[in-house]
Amino acid sequence: MTETAIEFVNVLKRYGSAVAVDKMSFSIAKGELVTFLGPSGCGKTTSLRLIAGLELPTEGQVKIAGRDVSRDPASERNVGMVFQSYALFPHMSVLDNVSYGPTIRGVPKAEARDRARAILDQVGLAGYEARLPSELSGGQQQRVAVARAIVQQPDVLLFDEPLSNVDAKLRRKVRAEIRELQQRFGLTAVYVTHDQEEALAVSDRIVVMKMGQIAQIGTPAELYEQPASSFVADFIGDANLIEGKVSSGTFHAAHLALPVRAADGIVTATIRPERIRLAKGGIATIRSASYLGSRMEYVVQDENLEFLVSRPISEPRLTAGDSVDLQIDPADLVLVR
Amino acid sequence: MTKRSVLLAAAAIMLAPAVPASAQGNELVLYCSVQEEWCRAMSEAFQRETGINVLMTRRSSGETYAQIAAESGQPRGDVWWGGTGDPHLQAAQEGLTEEYRSDMLAELQPWALQQAETSGYRTVGIYAGGLGFGYNTDLVTENPPACWADLLDARFEDDVQVANPNSSGTSYTMLATLVQLMGEEEAFEYLTQLHGNISQYTQSGSAPIRAAATGETAIGIVFMHDAVAQTVTGAPIVTVAPCEGTGYEVGSMSIIAGGPNPDAARAFYDWALTPAAQELGATANSFQIPSNVNSVTPDAAPRLEDVNLIDYDFALYGSSEERTRLLQRWDAEIGSLPQ
Amino acid sequence: MPRSGRCRSNRQRIPVGRFSLTSDRAGLAWLGLLAAALGLVPWYKGNNLFAGPAASALTEALAGRGWLWPMIAVTSALSIAALTRGWQRSNLALGLTLGAFALLIWQGFAVGLRGPSADWVGSAFPRAADGQTGLGWGGFLAGIALTGLLSDLFAARGFCRGERFPAFCITAIVALLTLFVFFPILRLGIAAFVDPTGALALGTFWARISAPDLWGVACFAGAGRCGVVVNTVVLGVLSASFATALGLALALLVNRTDFRMKRALRAISILPIITPPFVVGVAIILLFGRTGLVTSFVADLMDVRPTRWIYGLPGILIAQVLAFAPVTFLVLLSTLEAINPTLEEASRTLGARSMTTFRKITWPLLRPGLAAAFLLAFIESLADFGNPIVLGGGYEVLSVKIFFAVVGARYDLGNAATLAMILLALTLIAFWLQMRWMGKKSYVTVTGKSDAGLTAPLPPILKIAVFAVVLPWVLFTLAVYIIIAAGGFVTDIGRWDLTPTLSHLVTAFRFEIAENGLQLYGSAWDSMITTLWVAGLAAPLTTLVGILTAWLVARQDFAGRRAFEFGTMLSFAVPGTVVGVSYVAAFNVPPVDITGTAAILIICFVFRNMPVGMRAGLAALAQIDKSMEEASQTMGAGGATTLRRVVLPLIRPAVFTALVYSFVTAMTAVSAVIFLVSARHNMATAYIMGRVEAGEYALAIAYSAVLMIVMIGCVALIQLAVGTRRLGRRQELQGRPAADPAE
Repeated sequence: MTETAIEFVNVLKRYGSAVAVDKMSFSIAKGELVTFLGPSGCGKTTSLRLIAGLELPTEGQVKIAGRDVSRDPASERNVGMVFQSYALFPHMSVLDNVSYGPTIRGVPKAEARDRARAILDQVGLAGYEARLPSELSGGQQQRVAVARAIVQQPDVLLFDEPLSNVDAKLRRKVRAEIRELQQRFGLTAVYVTHDQEEALAVSDRIVVMKMGQIAQIGTPAELYEQPASSFVADFIGDANLIEGKVSSGTFHAAHLALPVRAADGIVTATIRPERIRLAKGGIATIRSASYLGSRMEYVVQDENLEFLVSRPISEPRLTAGDSVDLQIDPADLVLVR
Repeated sequence: MTKRSVLLAAAAIMLAPAVPASAQGNELVLYCSVQEEWCRAMSEAFQRETGINVLMTRRSSGETYAQIAAESGQPRGDVWWGGTGDPHLQAAQEGLTEEYRSDMLAELQPWALQQAETSGYRTVGIYAGGLGFGYNTDLVTENPPACWADLLDARFEDDVQVANPNSSGTSYTMLATLVQLMGEEEAFEYLTQLHGNISQYTQSGSAPIRAAATGETAIGIVFMHDAVAQTVTGAPIVTVAPCEGTGYEVGSMSIIAGGPNPDAARAFYDWALTPAAQELGATANSFQIPSNVNSVTPDAAPRLEDVNLIDYDFALYGSSEERTRLLQRWDAEIGSLPQ
Repeated sequence: MPRSGRCRSNRQRIPVGRFSLTSDRAGLAWLGLLAAALGLVPWYKGNNLFAGPAASALTEALAGRGWLWPMIAVTSALSIAALTRGWQRSNLALGLTLGAFALLIWQGFAVGLRGPSADWVGSAFPRAADGQTGLGWGGFLAGIALTGLLSDLFAARGFCRGERFPAFCITAIVALLTLFVFFPILRLGIAAFVDPTGALALGTFWARISAPDLWGVACFAGAGRCGVVVNTVVLGVLSASFATALGLALALLVNRTDFRMKRALRAISILPIITPPFVVGVAIILLFGRTGLVTSFVADLMDVRPTRWIYGLPGILIAQVLAFAPVTFLVLLSTLEAINPTLEEASRTLGARSMTTFRKITWPLLRPGLAAAFLLAFIESLADFGNPIVLGGGYEVLSVKIFFAVVGARYDLGNAATLAMILLALTLIAFWLQMRWMGKKSYVTVTGKSDAGLTAPLPPILKIAVFAVVLPWVLFTLAVYIIIAAGGFVTDIGRWDLTPTLSHLVTAFRFEIAENGLQLYGSAWDSMITTLWVAGLAAPLTTLVGILTAWLVARQDFAGRRAFEFGTMLSFAVPGTVVGVSYVAAFNVPPVDITGTAAILIICFVFRNMPVGMRAGLAALAQIDKSMEEASQTMGAGGATTLRRVVLPLIRPAVFTALVYSFVTAMTAVSAVIFLVSARHNMATAYIMGRVEAGEYALAIAYSAVLMIVMIGCVALIQLAVGTRRLGRRQELQGRPAADPAE
């Protein structure tokens, strides 16, 4: 994982006066699957298109396999891309769709078809070669799109929200397939999504983006456990953001007073809902209790602060109006500024 | 594949005529300003006689003059054959046409030679025709008009047509004729009165007589040979040579200066003045009087001898200045009158 | 796993280095073409392409035409610069290319046909006194090569996301638009301000433009005549009003009633598009002229003297309404279809009666469509030439007046140019208003949203009114076309001599099969054959340029796209008469000297009709997910391949529409063509006009009928060749719109 597959060096992309990608720099190692995650308008799709060559940077460099491709059009880069809408050619059969790329790049027609058949076999679509895309199910179309993208062994495989057109039940299965394929072929992949759960599930590393800038880069665990900002904490999973004050090694907010290692001043503390424990009888009150099947979710009010608390279903259930005590392990608290 | 071959075949059919873009040198570009039928007869006969491929365009004399003027930077035509003499004279005056003294000049009528002399041999007369009018016998059943003055009769209200002199040589000839016949002030007085009877100033010179032939109007003021042509094809038209006297046109021919095929142009010029060529008109339903003394005048043609002809001053009324002045006066005093 | 191993070995087939090499090669190829154009191919016109280097720019320059040297010198410098690595991104290369372009243009204008255009050129190059003729193969190839080179340099700088093909298309289309749309109009504009000797003549211009015969309004006071500009505007407003009303009635009939013969109605409304000009006017004269069928009948019935009421405003108005109603009909039909029926349903559930619903809901929603239809018809009326010239009588309009200013007895290009400028200004104002009203709506076809509810049926009073308007129109149209169908096959329809005959057809299309093959003697063959192959060449070119432009506008993101789009639309807005005059003014002299060739006809058609192909293409592309093209690009296909293999198959209907429209228009166009036909290249419409002018109505009608049949045959042929999209149900096409790039 030391060889660099993709590198952004101070990449800036401007549309008129609007900045979509603001001086981004990062690198992606070979064989890695990296996800761009962020709310809509954060620049994640633009970043992906900058790698593909469907957009060219206003400033800075995009490097693929060590080569500066900043001015190369998409057709002269070796990338594969799976589109949100799959973008299968409706007038071509599945086989023609998959053999399109090799044919364009000068592979003889017969060989291109052999290769396409092989890939289709790998994604489990053998026997569907002669069909038109409109005669396939959504999941099958998705697999054709993936097959088409990997058939020419691209330097990088790009996914633009590939699961947004797949119904919720299939998603888990399809994303596992994608991950499996990517690892089997040893491909470098970049994946764009706005769904944090999806991002956590498939990624080696995640780039969290906000307004064209990188909020944080890290493995899923790092992002979840050590968010660098309240934005990241809030965006990845659920988080309670507590505004408070640190004075002489103690964090104060409402009735809370927790020992922390931080300098004095105003800070925001974040804590995951499942890290808060509740005990009956206390000064906080349960405002609402929701039964979610696998767990209970409570909204707890403590003075002017509201906490979201998530407890396993096995614990004794509480109901709205109960008085509770909030129990927080200071080690679970992450302070951000 | 079949679709493709159909397309190819179609393309081949369409392109086929484009391929033999005939080599220059053995062709002649003829601008013709008489009736299409006559134009075709002339170009076919010349082509058959000489083997020179004739590319002919028929346009009115005004249009042709305009085209030659527009192309003066790079002339595309060789010979301008036919049409009223005035625009030919104007072209000669502006150097758009070339001086050429054909051996055939000796055989021509005096009025045809005079045209050549006036222009410094840049044009020559090929036929003549008197100005007059024709009336529809279905519409004018009694007391037919015989003179210019009769046209002012109130019973012809909205029933006379003549072309607009700005666009038609015929109508300009009428304007010039009336000015010479009556004097300028009186002529414009006459035209003002006539305006009350005019239903439309047409764009084309011979349109009025066609309108009369189909009954769209009762009287059309045109060259007499145009009226005769209608009668010959069966229309209820009677041709009238006005009793006060009338003017005439000398249909002319010029070689365009700097044309692409000067040799072929001269060959055509000489040939067009021969009796054989000039007698083609009658076969094409055109009854002008040929300019070669040896040519046979068609029987149906209105004889100039029978017409009270004025001494038309082609030099003066063919000049740009006089023409522009008269037309401007016409625009101001007649053209602007309410319909 | 063994499979993946095999793939890996194949990977060598996509060497990274190959791509940069291609980039360099394209630039060098253009440079090579430029060198060949300057050194190997004859520079001036009149020489065969293969005449060899004997007449090339280099040879000519050596022979004393020194004004060619700067261009050659800059090109040589460019070739040296191209030896360095990455030269395509250097400012030097760009500067030299632009310089070569400028010098190419300069050499063309510096020396005219008869000598130098400026004194200093004459003194610097003595041979300039001989003048020079128009550019030949060399000149045009040099222009193409420089355009290609320039686009390559732009692409290297990231223009069009670095794609060379779209960059080249944009550069080439801009160059072509400049040469064939803006340059002629500019030249014409200059002609309005200078006298024939070339001196500035503002006084003359002012006298012309303020002439009372342009702006007079005396006719409104009941005495005197109105100016030609006033006439034109009055005609336009009346014609557009009636055409819009008729179009609305037709649209309501088709969309809001259960009228049975909707298909027949649509078919009838298409007829005017394939009808050659003039014949409708002739048919109207035969019906309503003084000896016309209807006029005589009414005159006998009421015992009044038949009059010539049809000549002038009434006649032109009838012909124009007949011709433009289909256009307004189509615009209003799509507006009606786009109105969401739930709005009307809501109104009715709220208790409004049907008339109230129509007045308060439907009508306001229709208004933008009405305005658009009105302006469209107004623009068409301004540009119309065929009807006023046949039916105008004493009623003068601008297009006819321009024609006679050029071809009349007093040739006056200056006056024609002035009038053309006025006509252009009027058209552009209407066009601008139309763009504002319709905005982008005209591009997006209506999707099947309206099936959400039932459309409101028409209130009974309106229904009666609609039938009262449409029925006479149907009868009238039928009468006109019966005359067109029959008129060519009777002895003399003008005098109502109805003896059947084929003599007109024989006059026009006589042929003999002799020993030496087919001999065509008919008088119409020349123009028919020319028209067919000019239209046959123009149609695919028009479609190509139109669809290409649509694709560039819809899919490429480049600086100046709006201006580009507007420029292409402008060529559509310019009335045909103005185009004709401007082409005469611009292309009759070097450097681009193409008057009298078939090329000028084809070029004229391509740039006049291209916007229609463009609109069809834009509408089709709006329905196709952009990511399919992006997918093709990421798979290594350049713009050209993507266009050919992905886009074109998906927008076949638009290609078909564009082909048919451009073909038919080229067959029936007249206003621009009248100025451009020559002895060698005469067109059918010009021939028909000549026949109408000469009163040979029967021949004109016979020819027109044949022409219409030929057109229908050709359209069927195009259908066969292009075919229709053979695709089943496909949700992708109408799938989600392309992702916002800013996301």
